[in-house]
Amino acid sequence: MTSAPTLSRRTLMTGLAGAALIGAAGCSPAAQQNQASASASGAPATVTVRLWDEQVQKAYDASFAEFSKQNPEITVKTVLVPWADYFTKLRTDVSGGNADDIVMMNGSYLQPYVTSGSLMEIGADFDSLKPGWVPAAVEQYTRDGKLWGVPQLTDGGIAVYYNKKLLDEAGITPEQLNGLVWAPDGGSADTLLPILKKLTIDAAGKRGDESGFNGSKPKQWGYSAAQDLQGIYYNFIGSNGGQFQDAEGTFVFSSPESVAAFQYIVDLINKHKVSPAASNTNDNGDFTRDQFLQGKIALFQSGVYNLKNVADGAKFEWGIAPMPAGPKGAVSVVNSIIVSGNAKSDVPEATRKVLQWLGSADGAKFIGSSGAAMPAVTGAQAAFSDYWKGQNVDPSQFATQGGMPSISAPAGENYGAAFSAWKPTFNEIFLGRTPVAEGLKKAQDAANKAAAS
Amino acid sequence: MQTSHVQRSPGRMRHGRLASVLLAPSLFGLAAFLVFPILVVLWLSLNRWDLLTPMRFVGLDNYFDVLSDPTFGNSMLRTVIFVVLVIPLQVALGLFMAVLLTRGLPGSGLFRVIYVIPWICAPLALGVVWKWILAPYDGALNNLLGVSVEWLSNPALAMPAVAGVTIWSQVGYTTLFFIAGLAAIPDQVIEAAQLDGADGWKIFWQIKLPLLGPTLFFVLVTGVISAFQAFDQIYALTPNGGPQGTTDVIASRIYLEAFQGGFNLGRALVMALVSFVILVIITLVQQRFFSERITYDLS
Amino acid sequence: MTSADRTEVPGRTDQAAPASEVDRADGAAALSERPGTRAHNPAQRPAADRVAPDQHAAPEESTGVRSSRRKRRNPLADALTYAVLLVAALLTLGPFALSFMTAFKSPGQFASEPALTPPNPVTTENFTRLFGGDYSFISPIAVTAQVVALILVGQLAFSIMAAYAFAKLRFAYRDTLFWVYLATLMIPQVVIVIPLYAMMVQSGMRNTFWALVLPFMFGSPYAVFLLREHFRGIPDDLIDAARIDGAGDWRILWQIVVPLSRGIIATLAIITVVSHWNNFMWPLIITTGRDWQVITVATANLQSQYNANWTLVMAATTVAMAPLLILFGLFQRTIVNSISLTGFK
Repeated sequence: MTSAPTLSRRTLMTGLAGAALIGAAGCSPAAQQNQASASASGAPATVTVRLWDEQVQKAYDASFAEFSKQNPEITVKTVLVPWADYFTKLRTDVSGGNADDIVMMNGSYLQPYVTSGSLMEIGADFDSLKPGWVPAAVEQYTRDGKLWGVPQLTDGGIAVYYNKKLLDEAGITPEQLNGLVWAPDGGSADTLLPILKKLTIDAAGKRGDESGFNGSKPKQWGYSAAQDLQGIYYNFIGSNGGQFQDAEGTFVFSSPESVAAFQYIVDLINKHKVSPAASNTNDNGDFTRDQFLQGKIALFQSGVYNLKNVADGAKFEWGIAPMPAGPKGAVSVVNSIIVSGNAKSDVPEATRKVLQWLGSADGAKFIGSSGAAMPAVTGAQAAFSDYWKGQNVDPSQFATQGGMPSISAPAGENYGAAFSAWKPTFNEIFLGRTPVAEGLKKAQDAANKAAAS
Repeated sequence: MQTSHVQRSPGRMRHGRLASVLLAPSLFGLAAFLVFPILVVLWLSLNRWDLLTPMRFVGLDNYFDVLSDPTFGNSMLRTVIFVVLVIPLQVALGLFMAVLLTRGLPGSGLFRVIYVIPWICAPLALGVVWKWILAPYDGALNNLLGVSVEWLSNPALAMPAVAGVTIWSQVGYTTLFFIAGLAAIPDQVIEAAQLDGADGWKIFWQIKLPLLGPTLFFVLVTGVISAFQAFDQIYALTPNGGPQGTTDVIASRIYLEAFQGGFNLGRALVMALVSFVILVIITLVQQRFFSERITYDLS
Repeated sequence: MTSADRTEVPGRTDQAAPASEVDRADGAAALSERPGTRAHNPAQRPAADRVAPDQHAAPEESTGVRSSRRKRRNPLADALTYAVLLVAALLTLGPFALSFMTAFKSPGQFASEPALTPPNPVTTENFTRLFGGDYSFISPIAVTAQVVALILVGQLAFSIMAAYAFAKLRFAYRDTLFWVYLATLMIPQVVIVIPLYAMMVQSGMRNTFWALVLPFMFGSPYAVFLLREHFRGIPDDLIDAARIDGAGDWRILWQIVVPLSRGIIATLAIITVVSHWNNFMWPLIITTGRDWQVITVATANLQSQYNANWTLVMAATTVAMAPLLILFGLFQRTIVNSISLTGFK
């Protein structure tokens, strides 16, 4: 009754049914990869570790390889989630029961996870390791007298990576970068701005301090001013004697000192055009780094967390200089990172073992020896300095800055909500579309409202 | 021809058992994954849940909160703007292209196929491609034009850009419907008009267009419903609601409320419910508008 | 089945056909009553001819016929038409060509030369990076294929069953139930995803393969609607004759009704595959990590991780779009005709 089907529908249906049967197994090659390596070592327990830093991931993979040699029944896998999505994904995953056993944690986002009991307490079974941890880190992550993670990285302070070639072309020596000072509203006290102008070149080849300079068609920028909390604006605020958040957790960044600091940064971008337009940097935290690595930015202000990236990626001679100081000195933000255990982990015992490994000098030295970051475990810090000495790089500036007065990183129960509340207005401020004072007030109100809800 | 009714018994229940077997799977799916979730929505919207802490009953608080929140009003406004920008242009362009493609020129078939290609691709993927094209510093468009326009960061340009991308991806698909609609107009009608001396223009406006009524209706209704729920490409192009919230259409806002930023599922659900009601109203209004105007009868 | 399978309705992944579809169908029925209409006059033609897409060459046929009757060809108008068509084709294909080109450029060349210069040298480093490392696209492709295959089989099978029941059987509350099906079409996807997410989390099913498949595989109201229309057009005589010969309803359905509806089923298959292959919001919400990410989610994740690393991101979008584009290339005639078929009723 039916004509003989050509590309036989029958064949198609059979094929589909077959595919469906395979599908009924619901196989994911990615999942199988995980299982394969687990069963390869005959390990009954797999511990997963979530983090956002690629360099640290490489270090961890080496560290865990060593760990599994000593503890063959446990396999550890690292999972990378991009920083931009890290904390939104973490929240939905913790809620959905899909969080990893160990998660890298940042002080700003810690509170809700403590409050909801999502994290393992670092209690008595870690007592022997605690003395070896940087005290500032332990303090940053202690809430209600309890510690909620094993300190892993300590960021030191912020400094400036410079491109020696671009400096040479502008006739500037690296020594000239020491002791630079910025002043609100520019003026003669400002020694930073002239240098930045000299280092900025437009498409026609004119430098920023020459007449006829057209900043709208840039070829090279002098500086990496952007909406970068840790790398840029927090430090400017601190260096001007301002505060971002007060002791109670209320956001206070529309104070006159902070407004002046933001105004300076925004002017660098929009008025003097010594930094890329904010439309490039507002939603891309890596833009300035990538441009620096391509030789398009002369001075890249950032932390030790980009040291390895710069060392690996820069194809030019580079160096590290101190951060410019403000009216109240060179005040930088200092931050540590911990790894926390998931209170709802399937394999709590194995997870604790891994955490203890990471908290020990043996386990933490891989971070140092790969140069990825300065370990927060003091016994492992020598590995970091040794590595960079071998690379002919002197990262001591970060530690030096870290020893100076600092401004503490923001935090709070509803930090994530507050951040989402202020970011759109900050975008507008940096794009030059909203005046700084007005914008900061609006953002502050929104942030406080979100934090309080 | 009367078929024998030997094997039939009268009564409405005759096929009851067979029907239940045949309907069981889809009914189960409907109940479990469509009807039940609606009930869950109604319940969840009365609670406050931020994914980490336990749920808290708050009654109608979420409703008051959302309905008095300017963010929600902004989202509805942006959605309306989006629909108003996209649909008329998409439909007009689709019709225009269809007219061109039904002129019988050789190669029309090939063009027709080309215009459908964007429809095949995931809106998410297309959004990512356009995100590059519209990038301010190293994007293809700025490169091509030699300018430095901030297509996606400028509040005046973001929505037109997003609407433009949507129209670009949909026109070919709409064109196909109109081609089919135009093809179904009986030749006799056209010839009769031509014999009466009507020129192409008149034929188009007074005969073809009215007869395209059903197609137009279908395209408009489905287009509006689809545009109202646009998410994928908008998420790819402007993931956080766009500059000054100018592309914060309702689907995007609901997602952001629930799964980012505030993680406030109760509020997100209220927004979803309200937008659903509005969508139903718009659809019913459209249907009423059209059923009075469609030309069905030719006699 | 959820409104997430709005995906069925031609138009978009997140679209619903209105309940007014029924009115439209009635209107269309009135339309088909007129003498001379090509399509959808069941009384005049057997269902098979009417719906088989390969035979349905309405647009070309009619334009061919009409053009031969046109007395005057206006060369200027033709030239202008071609010009417009060409520009439109360039605008349509341009972004694809550009992204494709960029995918084969080295990051170095991309950074230093304008976007329109062709890749020189042509390099596949972006693709090897894509398939080698952390963001390998092999798993997403495999997962997406399995999800779509399962949904396709399930949706078709169960929708056919339901549509047959509505079209050919008599039982209590039949029409009311059908209206319920149609009504659910109006519910937007965005309303459903959150409660479904909550339900999946509660039952521990978040981030599983079945979470991707179950909400869709039990049938689609849109498919039921379309199929019912066509099944209704199959003459009862055929079915009665088969019954007299002793065939049970099950055999009638699968061996008579379905073969006669190849066209509409092919159409539905195409729409289902395209919609679910490109589905984004639901997989985004319900999966996390690399195990179960589908192609769309993998693309978005990669774009987020390698933000502004455009050569790599364009390689990812190329890989993401390739499977369906290839399918389109192979079956374009069927696909294009199918779309026309569903639209005009």
